[in-house]
Parts: sequence; C-alpha cells; structure tokens
Amino acid sequence: MLKRLSFILLISILAMLIAGCATTEGGIVQTVVVTATPTARPEGAKIVLRVGTGDSGEGLTPHFRIIEMFEAENPDIQVQLEPVGSGDYYARILTQIAAGDPPDLLQIGDDAVPMFVDRGAFLPLDGFIASADYPLDTSIYLPGVMEPGKWNGAQYLLPKDFSPMAIYYNKKLFDAAGAPYPQEGWTWDDLLATAQQLTVTDANGNVTQWGIQLPGPWTTGFEYWVAAAGGRLISEDGSTFIGYMDSPEVQTAVQFYADLYNKYKVAPPPADMNAFGGGNSEFDNGTAAMRLFGRWPQAGMKQNPNIDLGVAPLPAGAERAGVLFWGGFGISALSDNPEAAWRFLRYYTGKEGAEVWKDWALPTVASVAESSGLSTDPVEGVWLNELNHLAPRAYVFTPYWGQTADPALRRVLESVILDPNANVAELLATAAQEAQAALDDLR
Amino acid sequence: MHTAASTPRPRRRWLPVRRETLTFYLLISPWLIGLLSFTLIPIVASLGFSFTRWDMLSPPEPIGLRNYARMLDDRLFWQSLSVTVHYTLMYVPSELIGGLLLALLMNQVSTRGIRIFRTIYYMPSVLSGVAFVVVWMWLFHPEAGLINATLAMVGIRGPRWLVDPNTALTALWIMSLWGLGRTAVIYLAGLRGIPRELYEAAAIDGAGTWQSFLRVTLPMLTPTIFFNLVLSVIATFQTFTSAFVATNGGPLDSTLFFVLYLYRKAFQEFQMGYASALAWVLFVIILALTLVIVRSGRWWVYYEGEDR
Repeated sequence: MLKRLSFILLISILAMLIAGCATTEGGIVQTVVVTATPTARPEGAKIVLRVGTGDSGEGLTPHFRIIEMFEAENPDIQVQLEPVGSGDYYARILTQIAAGDPPDLLQIGDDAVPMFVDRGAFLPLDGFIASADYPLDTSIYLPGVMEPGKWNGAQYLLPKDFSPMAIYYNKKLFDAAGAPYPQEGWTWDDLLATAQQLTVTDANGNVTQWGIQLPGPWTTGFEYWVAAAGGRLISEDGSTFIGYMDSPEVQTAVQFYADLYNKYKVAPPPADMNAFGGGNSEFDNGTAAMRLFGRWPQAGMKQNPNIDLGVAPLPAGAERAGVLFWGGFGISALSDNPEAAWRFLRYYTGKEGAEVWKDWALPTVASVAESSGLSTDPVEGVWLNELNHLAPRAYVFTPYWGQTADPALRRVLESVILDPNANVAELLATAAQEAQAALDDLR
Repeated sequence: MHTAASTPRPRRRWLPVRRETLTFYLLISPWLIGLLSFTLIPIVASLGFSFTRWDMLSPPEPIGLRNYARMLDDRLFWQSLSVTVHYTLMYVPSELIGGLLLALLMNQVSTRGIRIFRTIYYMPSVLSGVAFVVVWMWLFHPEAGLINATLAMVGIRGPRWLVDPNTALTALWIMSLWGLGRTAVIYLAGLRGIPRELYEAAAIDGAGTWQSFLRVTLPMLTPTIFFNLVLSVIATFQTFTSAFVATNGGPLDSTLFFVLYLYRKAFQEFQMGYASALAWVLFVIILALTLVIVRSGRWWVYYEGEDR
C-alpha cells in the first residue's frame, strides 16, 4: 500500500515538473554560431591585424563582408576577427590589455569609451585623420555620430553603427481608435492624450490594450526624458551630481515617467525588471499602441502580422531632445601595426564600410544614407532626423558614470515604477548624494 | 663517500624508484600545472590584489587595508550579505528536509523503480543551470507565466514574482528547490546503507513506523545529514547563476547575492582590488561557518561502531 502510494506521489511530482517544462516555447536560449572563418593564407609577408568585437551570430556577417572586401584591395594585410559573445567582452579585452596582448582594433560601446580612453587604452586618431597618405574626410559623416568617439576634444574612435530613440506605433490600433498618427512637433501632453485615447479597459476594469510600452527602469533610455525636460544629470566638468540629478527638471522627468505607469496607467507594468527594455511584449502582441525604444527590434516588427508599423519622432517636453546609442572602433595603444590598423579602420568605418553596414543598421555616412534612399524613407528618415536633436549623454562627462550615478538612478526608477506613492524629490535627493559619495571615493 | 669508488652504487636498486617518482610527477603534472596556474597562484594573487586598487588598465596601486575598511560603509555590501544569509536560512533547511522526504519516498518503491526515479530526479543537477533559470523565468512571468495563469484559473491574482522586491527572493527559492534531487540521491545512498537487522530488532521491540524512523533511520542517517549540511551551506553562500540570469540582483537589490555583487565589482565595474577583498571576506565567512558546523557535529552526528 505504502509502496503504491509513494509510486503515485513520485509520478505526480514528476508530471508537475514536466508540465512546467512543456509550456515554455523553445528558442529562448540562442546558440551562437560563427559561420565565416578567415581563410588561411600561406604567404608569410602579410601584416596580420586582429579585430575585437562584442557582436555575435548574425551580427558578424557585415564584419566578415567588409574584411573580405578590404583584403581583396589590400593584399599586404590580413584581418582576423575575434568575436567574444555574451556579456564578457569588456572583461576579456581588459584581461588582454592587462596581459599586453589586445587585438589591434577594438570595438567599444558608447558608455565604455571614457573608461577605456581615459586610462590610455586607445591611440588618438587626429594625426591619422590629417595624414597625407591615408587621410579621412570627417565631413562625410552624419551629424552627431562622431561625438561619442571623442574624449577631451580628441577623436579616439570612429563610428560603426548607432541608434537614436523614437516612438514606434501600430497603425492598426490608431485607425481602430480613429486617432491621428503622431507628427513632428508633438509634445508630452500630446503623448499622454494619445496614450490615454488608445488605452482600452474592459468591463471588469482590466486593461486589454495599453497606450504605450515603456522601457522600464532602463537608465540609458531614461536619459531622453531628462534631456527633453531640459535637465541634466551631472555637471559639465563631471564632478557633481548634487544639484543636477535632483534638480526640478529631473524631478519633472521622473514624475511624468512614473505617472505614465501608475497615475494614468497607460503603460503596462514591466514584466521583468532585469531585461533591458523591461521585458514586455505587449507591442509585439498588438496590445500596446506605441513603444518607446531604439531601432534594434525594427526588422522583426516589420514582419510581425500584429503590427502595421509606423515610427514617430520623439515628443518634445520643455525641449525637443533625444539621445544616441552608439558603437565604434578604435586602435589599441598596444598595437604593433598602428599604420596598417588605421588603413583598415578608415575603410571599416568609412564610406566603404558604411555601404555594407547600411543593410544591418543605420549608416553613419551621409551620402550612403542618401543614395540608398534611407533619408527620405518614411520610417528610416524619422530615425535619421533624430540626429538633429541629440543631447549629450551623461557618461560623456565622467569615466565613472556606470559605477556611481547609473545604479543610483536605476534604483530611483525601480522605486517609482513599483511604488505609486514614492516621493520623487526625496528619492532623487538620496540618489544624488549616494552617487556623489561614490564618485568622490573614486576620483 | 669513500665507498663510492670501490663499490659502485647499486644502480639497479635505485633507478626504478627514482624513475617511479619521476613518472609519478609526470603523470600528475597536467593536473598540478593546471592547479598551480589556474587556481593556486590566482588565489594567492587575489590576496595581494585585495590590498590594492586596480582597474586592469593601469598598474595596481597599493592602498593597504582601505578596501576592507570601505566595506564597513558600503550599503550594498551589507545588503548582499543580508540577502545571502537570509536565503541560506530559507534554502538549507528546505533542502535538507525536502531531500530527505524525497529519498524516503524513493526508498519505498522497488529497486528498479529507484534506479529510474534516481536518474530522473538527479537530472537537473547535470543539466545547464542557465537553461533552467530561463525556463523558470517564463513560469514566473507575471501575466503569461504558467504559475500565475494557473492561479488565475482558481481566481487568485498571483504576485508579480521576480518583478516585485517582496517576492523575488522567494521565487528564486522555489526555483532552486528543483535541485532537491541531488541531496535526495545522497540521502538514498545513506538509507540503503542502514542494516536491515536494526529495523528487524526495532520491530521485535514493538517499534512502529514512526518510532523506527526516529530511533533508527534518523540517527543512522546523521553522517549523511551532516555531509549534506556542509555542502549545502557552502553552495548556498556562493549562489550566483539564478540571480544573475533571472533578476540581476534586483528589483531594488532584493536578490543581490554576495557573489553577484562581487562579480559586478570585478567584471562590470572593474574594481579588481575591491572585488578580491570581497572574495577573501566570503572565504573567511564560509570557512568559519564550516568549522562551526564540523565542531557541532561532535554533538549530533553518530558514526557506526562509535561508543556512546
């Protein structure tokens, strides 16, 4: 009797565990496969350049394509791509730098630029740019895309790809509600009114359609709201958070953001506080009318049958402003072949490279954007136009942003999203003091 | 010495021994080199780094005990320590008791059945931790997740699990109970090792199921419980994967485990000196706890053949 009972119990516990497994759809864990491999070349006289990138999987294709083109035109140089997937890329190149053997060219994301450049990891490029043999005309680039590669006035990195922020909207839901599509010149008030008009509640008080999907406590994305409110998070000289992070402008930005979640209830609560962007899927499911984010998921949205996609410019608050996300390449200070590295870099990030990148991300070179018709495209043109309204991100003022104010600001955003009664002014004051103490400790 | 010239050293007697020694070192050298270069030397180096400030880009700068002093004022250091202790107090008892119950259940079925169940329940310990956590994240999804969807069917509005600072740690705890099988398998081995005569003797003396469990099974199992306790405490203090993947320490630092904080300092903020100091503090804490448990074992662990 006892035996049978135990058997039944064991089976049922198992069934529960298996049931748990079965409901999740596959394809969550992606396998990274590096497809193209650099071909081995027997000739011994070639200069071998190593290129470090944090891209992986499909994202490596444009790299390989440009390398192939470059090698065909420059038979004396061989380029070796060294991709490091997952989040370990910076740890890996720091280890390589500490060991004295980093790749000749390194890819870095915007907010890591000050940390690396300030500690001398990259060569200044201004001499190369003005050189007689291999000059680079920097006027070919779109406005704003060179800025993130600068530190203390000198150019250290050149742009690979970038994304501004904008608002995606689903024309199906707008048409059903009879709402006009958002246009350049719209404001925070218009955004709120539109979101309210598009939020649908059923008889039981449950929201069945949300006005706008927001990126949760994602601090970098939140910098848009600060800039549009006319505020800034850190002083110009990079020394002070107090009086900036807790200023009335930043308070306005945080309050408005929190109100979209908790007071007006036009934004779905984050499904995941960890995921970059809040882990929500309402816009993809066709149950959110708008979404504030970067350009990265756009290709998938265009193929999504739930969405008839439109992209609108960012709404203006006290100011018409936006922020840029950016990746670029520079030459390692420890490179044995800086001249060869420069020849590849100006090709990689110049007009030739941009011709390839344009099929994967927004191109950095103006003539490429024009000749490919992207500047006048009703969707891509909106993204490119955002470049005319960029406000500097907070990281450009200090190499310590990520260790000091960023976690403090994140805590504020988590608090106001989770707690409808949070005191914004008090939270920001505490955060500014905490960030300041951390900064003073590091400087 | 003087014999060296007249009677040559009996080479045949010595050489095989020396050769044996050499072969011995040669054979263990892959392991030895690995241990030295990837474990022992880095451990010693990390102690050295813990007295410096080092961002990996510029050379380490010695700062004495400042990294250790800094912890006293570091709110997140205390938060991560409290989260870890809290979680250990939740998890270790549940693992010890839950694993035992599971093992007792398995012990009831036939030998063939045991083999099957043992394999199945042990499986989670072999498979990738990250994949499991991702699956659980879907189960815990506040709207679409299986758990809340099931609760909604019976009219209960489920908590927001990983998104709510009040429930996130509990969610991670539920998640980790999945690994009970590992403990249960060790218990099962212990249960199988209890001599049948003891139960027979107990039955003759009139002991029921409950009494023979209390008077025979439990005392005979104390070495196994002890072993599981030590392993479990050490492992729990090093919890990382679930929090790193599912919550990244949030929301509001409610799941900021000690090792996660250490990882963040080392590999996201590149404060290698401070991170090394944190690692040594963790080492000392785990060592102290283990010693306390080992000492306490004298009072409650019974080994067969021991005179009591």
